[in-house]
Amino acid sequence: MKTTKVFQMTALLLVIVSVIQVGWWVYDQHDYSTQKLRDARIAYAREVAAAQALLAAGASAARVHALLPDVSIADGGAAPADAVDAAFVQERHRRINQYVWESGFFLFALALCVGVISRALRAETKVLQEQDNFLALVSHQFKTPLASLQLSLETMAKRQLSAEQARTLIDRMLVDLARMETMVSRILDSVRLERGRVDLKSEPVELAAAVGRVVGQFEERARQERIALTTDVPRDLIVLADPLAVDVVVRNLLENALAAVAAVSGGTVTFAARAANGEVELSVRDSGVGFGANDSARLFKKFSRLHPGGGSSHNGTGLGLFIVRRLMQLTGGRVSAHSVGVGQGALFVLSWPAAPRQPV
Amino acid sequence: MSTAQVSAARTLVVEDDPHLAAGLAENLRAEGYAVDTAADGRLALAWLRENSCELVVLDVMLPHLDGFTLCRTLREEGNNTPVLFLTARGDPQDRVLGLEAGGDDYLAKPFHLDEFLLRVRAILRRWEWYRKASATPQSAVLRFGGNEVDFRAFRARSWNGAAQELTEKEAMILKVLAERPGEIVSREDLLERVWGYDVFPSTRTVDNFILRLRKRFERDPANPRHFLTVWGVGYRFLIEDAA
Repeated sequence: MKTTKVFQMTALLLVIVSVIQVGWWVYDQHDYSTQKLRDARIAYAREVAAAQALLAAGASAARVHALLPDVSIADGGAAPADAVDAAFVQERHRRINQYVWESGFFLFALALCVGVISRALRAETKVLQEQDNFLALVSHQFKTPLASLQLSLETMAKRQLSAEQARTLIDRMLVDLARMETMVSRILDSVRLERGRVDLKSEPVELAAAVGRVVGQFEERARQERIALTTDVPRDLIVLADPLAVDVVVRNLLENALAAVAAVSGGTVTFAARAANGEVELSVRDSGVGFGANDSARLFKKFSRLHPGGGSSHNGTGLGLFIVRRLMQLTGGRVSAHSVGVGQGALFVLSWPAAPRQPV
Repeated sequence: MSTAQVSAARTLVVEDDPHLAAGLAENLRAEGYAVDTAADGRLALAWLRENSCELVVLDVMLPHLDGFTLCRTLREEGNNTPVLFLTARGDPQDRVLGLEAGGDDYLAKPFHLDEFLLRVRAILRRWEWYRKASATPQSAVLRFGGNEVDFRAFRARSWNGAAQELTEKEAMILKVLAERPGEIVSREDLLERVWGYDVFPSTRTVDNFILRLRKRFERDPANPRHFLTVWGVGYRFLIEDAA
């Protein structure tokens, strides 16, 4: 990366030097042609003066004309010919045209080079900065559960604990480990998705079955956290998508909804689906913490944190919704988030193209 | 927020991660401290405006109001409660930022429980010493060269009549020097007494604080008569004019 940058900087420097050289060349050309024209005019003025001298010395007009044909002779006197003067002006324009066009072309090409190189440099700086931010955020996301894990372990080593206290610490550690495990897989997923290095299929997926599978895995957790989890997805809805991607987006949205509802000590999460205009819409509505009207775009950004204990709770990786949006984009679908405000619950809507009806 | 116990040193743990907050609170309680907790910067600031405590354990990356801003706000409001920063960002630049914001110490996550408790004890011990050393009407006020320092109020009036608000560190340095007038106090000694063992990487910080004190209290800071440098060792504080 560093070598590329050195190379780009050198190239930029060379191009800038070239621009200066072209500028110098234009100046030099201008100076040279002005000088040449001035010399020609002086020489011509001398010719006129010589013709005048010859005429004054008694030479005939015909003789003088034969010797100095470019000088106009009329009424016994010599004068500059109009045609010669016009030729001088024409010559001047010709030269100016020549160097202006030539230098213009070179300067245009060089400016293009400067633009391309500086754009590449800027893009690279931006990428590096994004990578730094990403690393800083990733390390922050890991250090907190790590610190919690270390604290729990060292507490166990240092203190005399009752069986109940020890159980609490073990549960905490298990949750911290699960958080880190989820984080690792989500970071890998998000990096792959960001670089487009995923092989996604486009095939008919039965939405009701896909939602049912994911919901089944979270029913126990929902019960423990006093969350009523209901689904209303008609069996005949078939979407055109990647089956694994559908599983991941439904799972991430459900986890997000459960965290948002758990933060307000219980409530409801409802899945509903319908077909509309060649698409199938799946909505996930929760009665959780919700978010402010201006936060709906920020939700889908990497590591965005809106509330403590809310949709981006301590268990969240800050990557779940980012992955949802990216997967939906890559499979030709859309996702949108809606909330009336903080504390008012939230609605997430996924849309996929509907699969063409299979002949029965 | 939990309710505080009475009698023991009261601490406030400001941490948005519930596991970490619970772990810290349990361990502080096991050491005999009374503990309150706050899950974000705004809640913590509101709590600190209503209540007082001997130490704030403060996470840096917090929802609503980050730890640095919270600490700076407290100091601007004249709240000198000692702050121990806990943060996932452990680079030296960040450490300096934290201390400049008015923090007393800085611990990077993940940390060892014993080190955390050691630092808590060290901060509380320093404050305990400061409070005890400023307990009597005589020790609470220092007069030198027309200046008057009130250690309990963190205020001073300098020789030209200007009112001065002292930071906790300035007050502590003055206290250490005033305890041993006329004696040489090394920079390391000042660091140890005021900041603790390894908070700052260099002793130059002490020099900067001495410069600030000279600006506040010397008639001619370039030719000090009270805060004298002893080259290569440290400082000597004189109550009477050096001339």
